[in-house]
Parts: sequence; C-alpha cells; structure tokens
Amino acid sequence: MSGITRYPSFNVLDEKDAWDDHTQQIVTSRNQSIDKYQFLSEREAEILRSICSLLVDDSSPDALAFVISHIDKTLYSSPGEGQRKVGVPAASELIRQGLKAMEQSSQHMYSISFAELETVKQKNMLKDISEVKAEPSAIWNRVPQKALFEKLMRLTVESYCSHPQVWSDIGYAGPAYPRGYVRTQLGQLDPWEAKTENEA
Amino acid sequence: MKRKYANEEVDAVIVGAGAAGGVLAKELSEAGLSVVVLDAGPLRDPQKDFASDELSMKSLGWQDTRIVDGTDPLTMGHNNSGRGVGGGTVHFTAVFLRFQDVDFQGKTIDGIGEDWPISYEDLEPYYTRTEKDIAVSGPKHFPWGHYNGPYPYPEREPLSPNAYMFMNGCDKLGIRSSVAPLAILSAPFEGRPPCINRGFCNQGCMPDSKFSTLIVHIPKAIKAGAEVLPDCMVTQVLMGKDGLAKGVTFVHNGKPYEQKAKMVIISAFVVETPRLLLNSANEQFPDGLANSSGMVGKSIMVHSSNDVYAKFDDEIRLYKGTPVLATTLDFYRTDPKRDFVRGYTLHSHGARPVEFANGVSKAQGGPIWGERFRQALLDYNHYGRVTLVGEVMPNMNNRVTLADEKDEYGLPRAKVTFSYGENDRKLIKHAERTMSSILEAEGGKVEFVVPDTAHMAGGCRMGNNPADSVVNSYGQSHDIPNLYVCDASIFVTSGAGNPTNTVMSLALRTAEYIVEKMKKRELQTSRG
Ligand SMILES: Cc1cc2nc3c(=O)[nH]c(=O)nc-3n(C[C@H](O)[C@H](O)[C@H](O)COP(=O)(O)OP(=O)(O)OC[C@H]3O[C@@H](n4cnc5c(N)ncnc54)[C@H](O)[C@@H]3O)c2cc1C
Ligand code: SF4
Repeated sequence: MSGITRYPSFNVLDEKDAWDDHTQQIVTSRNQSIDKYQFLSEREAEILRSICSLLVDDSSPDALAFVISHIDKTLYSSPGEGQRKVGVPAASELIRQGLKAMEQSSQHMYSISFAELETVKQKNMLKDISEVKAEPSAIWNRVPQKALFEKLMRLTVESYCSHPQVWSDIGYAGPAYPRGYVRTQLGQLDPWEAKTENEA
Repeated sequence: MKRKYANEEVDAVIVGAGAAGGVLAKELSEAGLSVVVLDAGPLRDPQKDFASDELSMKSLGWQDTRIVDGTDPLTMGHNNSGRGVGGGTVHFTAVFLRFQDVDFQGKTIDGIGEDWPISYEDLEPYYTRTEKDIAVSGPKHFPWGHYNGPYPYPEREPLSPNAYMFMNGCDKLGIRSSVAPLAILSAPFEGRPPCINRGFCNQGCMPDSKFSTLIVHIPKAIKAGAEVLPDCMVTQVLMGKDGLAKGVTFVHNGKPYEQKAKMVIISAFVVETPRLLLNSANEQFPDGLANSSGMVGKSIMVHSSNDVYAKFDDEIRLYKGTPVLATTLDFYRTDPKRDFVRGYTLHSHGARPVEFANGVSKAQGGPIWGERFRQALLDYNHYGRVTLVGEVMPNMNNRVTLADEKDEYGLPRAKVTFSYGENDRKLIKHAERTMSSILEAEGGKVEFVVPDTAHMAGGCRMGNNPADSVVNSYGQSHDIPNLYVCDASIFVTSGAGNPTNTVMSLALRTAEYIVEKMKKRELQTSRG
C-alpha cells in the first residue's frame, strides 16, 4: 500500500452511536466476514482479491473481504446493472469469462496461476487489459477488455469506498443523521470530524 | 393485492409517481377525479428505508439494465433515473431553476435548435405556483433569467466549504455567483424541518427537509382519495377498438392485473415512457402508440455534466453540506464571441467517497487506478469540485428503441443510444476551462476532469405539428386524445439548467387542462 493516512487516530466507527439505526446496521455489517460465496468459486475469489487489491492499491484484508463479498453478491443476484453496452455480456458472464482469461493467460505465459504471479506481472496484465492490449488473442478475442476493466473497477471502487476503514483512512466523517454538519465555513470542523495529524 | 378500483373504471390512471406523476396525482385528485397511480418501484419510508450511505442507496435508482449505445453511451441507473414512489425527486440534488426564454425559443432567438410550442410566459404562473407549493429557498436577488426573486423562503445559510471556495473563486474572476435556489427548506414548512447540511441529498433526505413528491405530493393525493399502488410495473396501455385508451395492464409480485380508466397518463420518464408506448404496439398502432410521427423515443437529450476536481493545500471536505449550494448562470446564453451556441450552468458540487472515487477512476487520460487512485483517495479532503450542467442539442439519432433482450417481465429492454454533437463538445471544452479557472483562482490545482452526464429529457416531444411531435403542449397525444404523456420526455430542448421545476410546472399546466376538459365534458373516452 502506498501513501499514508493524514488521520491515523481517526476511527469513523467511534461515532456510530450518533448515527440513525439503519445506517449503523448497514455500515457495521461491512466488517463481518462471510465464509461462503454464492457465485464465485474459491479460485475466482482468490484471483479477484489480487486484482481488487491492485486496483485500489491497498491490501487491507477487511476492506478487501468486503469488496469480494460485494462482488459475489452482485453477480449472484443483482437488480440490474443500470446499463450495459451493446454487445457486452451480462456482468456475471463478463467477470467469469474475464477471470478465466486472466488465469489462462497467466498459465500460458508463466505457467502459474494469476493469484501466484509476481505483483509486477499481475499489474502489467491489468494495465494491458485497461488498454485493450491483453495477449494472446486466442484467449482474449472473445472478452471485451475495456468493459471488463471498467466493471471490475466500478464494483471494486463502490464497495471499497463504502468500507468504514477506508472512511477512517481518508478522514471522511460520513453519516450525519440526525445531527448534521454545523460548522461548515472553510477550515471549520465539527468536533467529531477527523483532524489532520500528518501533512502528506 | 388490496385495491380500491379493481373492477372499476377510474377517471385517470397515472403511470409513474415521480416529479410529474406526483404533481398530477395531487392536482387531479384534489379536483375530485378518481385517480390510480402505479409505480414500478416501492413506497419508501424515509426514516426506515433511507440511510446515510451511498452504496446501499444505489437502490433509489432504476437499476434494471438498459442497453446503451452510441459514441457516448450513457451511465443510467442512479445517475439519471429514479425508481419508486417519488421517482427521481427522491434522490435528486434539488437545484430548482426556471428555464429562460431561449430555452423555449432557441431557434427563433439563436437560429438553431428547436422551438417549443410554448414560451416562458406561458409557464411563468406555474413556476410561481410550484415554487410556492414546496417553499423553494433562494436568494432575495437572483441575478439571471426572468425571475430575480425573492424566493418563497430565504436562501440557505450557512453554505458548505466547497460552495464558499466556488463563490470566492468566481468573485476573483468577476463571475457573478449566487446561493442556488433549492427545493430544500431553510426554515420549517408544513411540519417539515429545515436542512441540517448532512449532505446526502442523492441518497434520500432522512429529515424530510428536501422536497420530493414522495413526501409532499403523494401524501396529499392520497388524502384527496387517490390510490397509489407501489411495486406495480405497467407493461402495456390497453386500447379499445375505437382507437382510444382503455386502461393499463401491470404486474405486481409476478401476477398480471388491469386497471381501467377514462384517461391514461404516462409519467414514466424519458426511457420508460417511450418504451411503454413502443411495447404497447398493436394491430391498429403497429409502430407503437402515439407514434404516427415516428418521434416516439427520438431526440432524447441529457445535460453534459463534466466535473473538474482540483486539489488544494488546505482542506475543503467535499462531504460537508448539501451537495449544491452555489451556482453561476453567467454562461447560460449564447455569446457570439464563443465558437458554439447556447450555454451552461455551473454548480459547486460536493461528493461523498464513492462518487468521488468513481469519478476519479474514469477521469480523462485514465483509467486511474493503483497508486494514483490511492493517492487521490488519501487526498480526498483536499479536493474541491465544480460541475457542469450544459445544454445538449436535440438530435434525432439520439433515441430510445427496443432491444432484442428481454427483462424479468418478458418485455424487450430499452436500448438508449447517445452521441454528443459538435456544438455539445465545444460547449464542454469551454465549460471545462471556466470550471478550471474558478478552481485555480482559489489556489486549486486541477487534477481530474471527468466526463459525465446528468438528467434526461425528450423522447416524446411536444409540438403543434402532429407530423413531427408526439403530444401537444399539454401532453395530450396527437393520435390518441385520451392518452397523455407528462414528464421530462415531452421537452423539446434540454435547456441550459436543471429541469425539474419545468417538469413540475408543465404537470401543473397539464392538470389544469385536464380538469377543465373534465368540467366541460370534452373528454373522449373509449367505448370498448
Ligand atoms: C442524481 C440526480 C440528481 C438530480 N438533480 C437534479 C437537480 O438538482 N435539479 C433538477 O431540476 N433535477 C435534478 N434531477 C432530475 C430529476 O430527478 C428529473 O428531472 C425528474 O425526476 C424527472 O421527472 P419525471 O416525472 O419526468 O420522471 P421521474 O421523476 O423519474 O419519475 C418516473 C417514475 O416512473 C416510474 N416508472 C417508470 N416506468 C414505469 C412503468 N412501466 N410502470 C410503473 N411505473 C414506472 C418510475 O419508477 C419513477 O418513479 C436529478 C436526477 C438525478 C437522478
Ligand atoms: S443536505 Fe439537507 S436536504 Fe440534503 S439530505 Fe441532508 S438534510 Fe436533506
């Protein structure tokens, strides 16, 4: 993980009792680990964990566990994707095909699983996918790489940035019902907001 | 399912309880009409069902998959469509502007685009009423357009750090800025409290300070006798052999039902309204209902809504306060010195982490991921943001059609095709420069420029000529006199500012027209 938090002693959950019940219940549940996936195989989950960790450049197990369980849940039963580009397969198929292609490429080029690959090589493959340059074409020609990268990024980002540990790291004071924010001039803080301890 | 009018013909069935549907339900039922309102989504309780959380509140959006196409395929879902009683107003940002003369008469004034069949003056009394009905808060003096205040309720105070940054930046550059007119209370009204600046307008307002038709119009409609049925997806408009509408079919919990009505009003928004009309095709109307012009689904518009994020030495904290509190309309109208016509509005716009990070990840020159992404996230509190609401020119190739793929109801999914035109792109470039200069004037360093869109309009445009429009200015379809369309789909142009005041004021005008027709017994109804 690169970069350090400006707010090392801030824990957003210290304030959870000031939040409404519904929000409390939703946010705190993100710290509970789940032990069984409904859509992903163990293998797929393992590959995904490496990918997601690289996408957000963070390997904190708690946040990543939530990311994987969010992706699993979404792919298993989702009310819909909002939108899908014409010609792109449904998310569950897209991700499954994509993970398979990554695993196959890794086996093809380095004879080991993607999850065991050196970080640099994993990163390079992700970079190639993001630029629609992943090889070999025999493996990749049926996988829409841009759509795959975007879907992985979106699912990862929306869950990662919803984890209370990440909120604490970035100094996001978050939920504020019923009390609201009162001191809102530039430079003002409400007493319970994160205070800068490290200048980056 | 318990129903009030299961075997009865009601005066009006309204499809969609959003901005327009909510207003219509209230007005028509208060005028004594028997009304049934069907909404595809749930009826939520703000206290129990909303949360101060972005991820879980994605569900306020229309998540069902739409197929997107074009050179600039749209992001749908929470980004531009609501689902459930209240529609888009449940999670909208509540910036509450009026359109200006050029928004209605662009072709006449600028020689380009399209004219509406109505002018600003036609809508003015309805704007005034809409704003009063929901106690819009705003400045004593609003420097732009044809209405300069005072607003029914005083402007919001205090603002947010990002809004102060924005206004300071504008000041330095000689750009006029103002506290935004908002459908958010600055003082108590009808038992609702003023806003507490918690910042989650796009996740649903828990204290009920922000207007939505869910908490304002629908309860009044129910009190006046309207029946509101949530979780009822309308699948077809029923037609009589006489070519008039008879009612609708809908699905609730997997089971089909019918509601008969003297008049059908579709208020299902820019994608679902055309989709329903197209999916209701029959022998008599093989190209879909109200579509003799071929215009159903055509000429949909969005607003360009690119974001510019700049990093500051000091903290801004984008999460604090109502997302939009300050605005400038100094670039709203055509300026012959620019290389494009029409214009835009700029807002200071807050962001919570998911929105911020999603934006950063798809910034120009991206995708941004890995270390750079992580660093941006760690600097979250040091970012400020300005957002564009830019006019997009109508274009027939931007449209809603039916895809081959089916949804859970067995209906063809909507396919939404969108590409920017040349004027749109030039406008965006100009706006990005203006936004950057405002941020830079305050010492920000521009780090991310994010392509984005907001709002939708068109697809069933109004007009006087049945050959090139779907409905008249009251939303009455040219082809089927007792079939109305009343929502953002009847817009002819997108305007250069936020649309919902116009959606709701048009709905007031339509309601008045319908009530008048009922009184005079001029309403044609199907005889089977
Ligand atoms: C994130 C966001 C921010 C916004 N911010 C602003 C802002 O600051 N200012 C502004 O002016 N505007 C804003 N808007 C736009 C505003 O929400 C829309 O302009 C407005 O809601 C459109 O009203 P409508 O009546 O046309 O449709 P909607 O309000 O979308 O209502 C349509 C309703 O129809 C229902 N429906 C659809 N199909 C069916 C069917 N087949 N059967 C039954 N029901 C159906 C849907 O569930 C929905 O409830 C924002 C929108 C979003 C998404
Ligand atoms: S900022 Fe105000 S209006 Fe918006 S959700 Fe919070 S309390 Fe409601």
